[in-house]
Amino acid sequence: MRVTRARAPGLGYRPGERPWTALLYVLPGFVIYALFVLLPIGQTVRYSFFDWDGFSTPEFTGFDNYVTLFRDEVFRLALRNNLVLLVFYTLFPIALALLLTALLTRRRIRGLGFYRAGLFVPQVMSMVVVGVVWRWIYNPTFGPLNQGLRAVGLDGWARPWLGDFRFALPAVGMIGTWVGYGFAMVLFIAGVQRIDEDLYDAAKLDGAGSWQQFRAVTLPGLRNEVTIALVTTLIAALRTFDLVYVTTRGGPANRTRVVALEIYNNAFGISRVGYAAAIAVVLTLVVLVVSYAVITLRMRTAEG
Amino acid sequence: MSHRTRRLPSLSRRDVLRGAGAIGAAAAAGGLPRAGRRTAAQGEVTLKVWDSYARDAESGVIDTLNEEFQASHPGVSIERVARRFDDLKATARLALSSDDGPDVCQINQGLSDMGVMVAGGILTDLTPYATRYGWNQKLSAGVIARNSFTPDGANLGEGSLFGMPVTAEFVGVYYNKEKLAALGAELPATFADLEALLKGFQEAGEVPIAFGNAEGWPAIHTYGEIQNLYVDRTYIDNFIYGRGGASFATPENERAAAKLREWTEAGYFSPDFSGIDYDTSWPPFADGQAATLITGSWISGELYGRGVEDRFGFFLTPPEMAGTPKLSVAGTSMGYAIRNGSPNADLGAEYIDSMVSARAAELWAEAETVHIGVDPTKAEPGTLYADMVAAWTRLNETDTVGHYLDWATPTFYDTLTASLQELLGMAVEPAQFVEQVEADYAAYLAEKGA
Amino acid sequence: MAQLGETVDGFGRPDAARGARGGERTKARWEPRLVLTYGLLTFFLLLAIGPFVIIVLAALKTGEEIGRNVFGLPEVWRWGNLADAWTQGQFARYFRSSVIVAVPVVVVSCFLSILTGYAFGRMRFPGSRLLFFLLLLGIMVPGEAVVIPLYHNLRRMDLLDTYWAMILPDIAFSVSFGTLWMRGFFSQVPPELVDAATVDGSNSWQTLWRILLPNAQPAILTMAVLFFVWTWNDFLLPLVVITDENLRTLPLGLAFFQGRFTSDLPLTAAGATIVALPTILVYAVLQRHFIRGLTSGAVK
Repeated sequence: MRVTRARAPGLGYRPGERPWTALLYVLPGFVIYALFVLLPIGQTVRYSFFDWDGFSTPEFTGFDNYVTLFRDEVFRLALRNNLVLLVFYTLFPIALALLLTALLTRRRIRGLGFYRAGLFVPQVMSMVVVGVVWRWIYNPTFGPLNQGLRAVGLDGWARPWLGDFRFALPAVGMIGTWVGYGFAMVLFIAGVQRIDEDLYDAAKLDGAGSWQQFRAVTLPGLRNEVTIALVTTLIAALRTFDLVYVTTRGGPANRTRVVALEIYNNAFGISRVGYAAAIAVVLTLVVLVVSYAVITLRMRTAEG
Repeated sequence: MSHRTRRLPSLSRRDVLRGAGAIGAAAAAGGLPRAGRRTAAQGEVTLKVWDSYARDAESGVIDTLNEEFQASHPGVSIERVARRFDDLKATARLALSSDDGPDVCQINQGLSDMGVMVAGGILTDLTPYATRYGWNQKLSAGVIARNSFTPDGANLGEGSLFGMPVTAEFVGVYYNKEKLAALGAELPATFADLEALLKGFQEAGEVPIAFGNAEGWPAIHTYGEIQNLYVDRTYIDNFIYGRGGASFATPENERAAAKLREWTEAGYFSPDFSGIDYDTSWPPFADGQAATLITGSWISGELYGRGVEDRFGFFLTPPEMAGTPKLSVAGTSMGYAIRNGSPNADLGAEYIDSMVSARAAELWAEAETVHIGVDPTKAEPGTLYADMVAAWTRLNETDTVGHYLDWATPTFYDTLTASLQELLGMAVEPAQFVEQVEADYAAYLAEKGA
Repeated sequence: MAQLGETVDGFGRPDAARGARGGERTKARWEPRLVLTYGLLTFFLLLAIGPFVIIVLAALKTGEEIGRNVFGLPEVWRWGNLADAWTQGQFARYFRSSVIVAVPVVVVSCFLSILTGYAFGRMRFPGSRLLFFLLLLGIMVPGEAVVIPLYHNLRRMDLLDTYWAMILPDIAFSVSFGTLWMRGFFSQVPPELVDAATVDGSNSWQTLWRILLPNAQPAILTMAVLFFVWTWNDFLLPLVVITDENLRTLPLGLAFFQGRFTSDLPLTAAGATIVALPTILVYAVLQRHFIRGLTSGAVK
């Protein structure tokens, strides 16, 4: 940045106006943000140190909620389920999209706009609609999935997907994969087309095969896109609520219980507000740490 | 919101400013306007009622009653929200905490719902209304106890009345008469007979029991019916009301779990039941695709509405020894409660009274569903409804109206549904099952004692 | 985090940027890889939209027909199912609520974000780093983290069960992302442009509206589209702060509708179709902006 005597060029105000004018611009947005986001973040942390049912006088209990939390089997189960969902929401779509990106031609694709628009549809749809659609698809008796399996003679594969202990969580996870893969594909295809073709030519001259080209040129070239896909899908996996609420509500027997559902249930179902706040704090920390880790990792790979 | 901002934003400076101006002006003029909140015109009252009668037949009865209530109360309009049991359960507490929440709402009795709400002070004590309208004469002492809590919400079964039930509820066995005849079997007199019957149906290629347990609660009823073979009134009362140091880890409860498990392994239930919702589990029975259906009396009206009139019959789950009394999973519908702070509390009480009136009993009878004010003489012999009424009469005469197990502790519904799903999914053994459930119960008793 | 929003904004560009390079090669004939490309793209395209297609079809059949014929076209197109769902499910009401909430959120959030983004992008002032960092928190922090106190605060403010209970928090969350987004835009404006305006004697306000904003239309539209999807599809907040049936938004309405009519498949399918349709329509028109916005690393 250039530094000049009076002011840097291109700053939007005249000398007489600053700096309080700037604050005037920031103020309206910031006040509403502070009231409805910042303040509640602080309050959540505060609540988490109290035993409170939402009605009566809160009782300060220090770290008790956190102690209970780490002993709570249902919470641990929920956290583990979120981690499993992470594989489905994040790993699968990104791996699949990368694989496809490697297979697809890098040349200009005719009608790309059409494909892109279609692939992206699940991403814009309300998760409730997605949940309703998939709940039906998975229905054991009249769902298209089991019907299709039976039609092609795979009766043995048909099962009560969302009611099956082993398959319920993967079944929910697959919905996440389905929502996410088009998103990752659109990102990566666009990214690949932005990579300088000369890099590929140079790699070819060095005798690199397709795989080596992919590793040496495509993958580094998609660093930004992969980071975005990672952060977006990781956060979606960690805080997933709507989808589970609509499809299984945590069942069968907590096999699809997730952290966000625990927050809702404790805070608004059985009046354990302080405890719910503690769960919310932990979830927030996990989200922040994971996002931070991904972004730092990207920066480090960018340097190295 | 200002009507000016209604169209999708075109982001010219003028529009943006105009939108902001509208909000600024609104905020300046006496604080934030309560957008979307309708202020009732003079003399007009809107009574908001939430109930769980969401299925066709039962919903029709409530609609008729509401219309009649409105007709007899000029200026009153009823705004009704009907939601299935677990959706209502999931949202009722939030709704009743709102100043604009329903005036009247049906609530699941028991510590996890009504108890929590009484503790939170969001429900009105109905005792004065009960006196005014003579509800005490319409309900037995036992039923009143099931809708009563101490003011701290900690003790079910004593204290003040917080909910007024409307329909009778009891779990038993619905059967398809043609299929029973095809088997040449008679109605079972003992539990062993029932099991033989189920086996017979299975051998005849029928689905013995239509069942769906995606939500988890239907299994509470099936389990309870079996459990009641082995436990007695004292135990179950003590257990539900948290008295006398009751425990869930008993040989009887384990035995019931083993029996339920045996039925599952034998394949008596609908295939894939773990993925089937309750409301998709009974229509196949109504359509003749299953021989029996073990569920509550709330479904008789729907079966009547769907099936050929005298296609189905009903009997209470028979005892181990013929002729001996056996408890049934039973009680009453969820209780109609009044939100604390509702400006229309008196009107709400009047509404609740209309739900337990003679007229209501008549309409429910027409819908072939047993109302708490049922007149046993009015059931036409040979119908499903006659079976229902007979069963309810017998339960009351022999004092065998049992309980819903999920009422026991604030977290019991969640624990029990999850544990039963695990039991039926072969993920835990019967012994583990009772231990798991007991852990919840013991923790509750300990906390209560502390 | 700041880099994310900025570096990737520009998804709209690739076609143009790559045009020359790609153009010369389109002459090439159908080679195996191209066939594979189209094959895979088509397969995954069908997979992505297939479920929506079959549910729309299911909405136009009878329950019995769905049982026999899931994938085919309806024998008779039963448009009446949609009408039934519309009246029974009270979707007209829900639709109205969704619009009443989404429009002000989009308009106000855009306006506020332009102001804050302008300040952070083109001005230096004390505390700007701290304020910006605080605003960024809102992008990262999940709604679950604030919903509990939010509920109790709104209750104290007597705002539960009003549209405000959804509008205000949604604006707050939107402004957080919007600031980052608009700051990215404003900081890329060539300094000469602004300097010229300043020399003309414009103050900052005039510079913003006369000089900068006319160029900002695409960026603002993309941002608006993002605000729209987030608000329109929001579930947790309305689930918690709204219990009045008259104020419920479409996703909420659908969730309870499906609970009540689980066994009536065509009706549930019709409900889902009704809720999906507006999004699809807006998406069809502003597709580019949706994709650019959602692939920008914007998370909510």
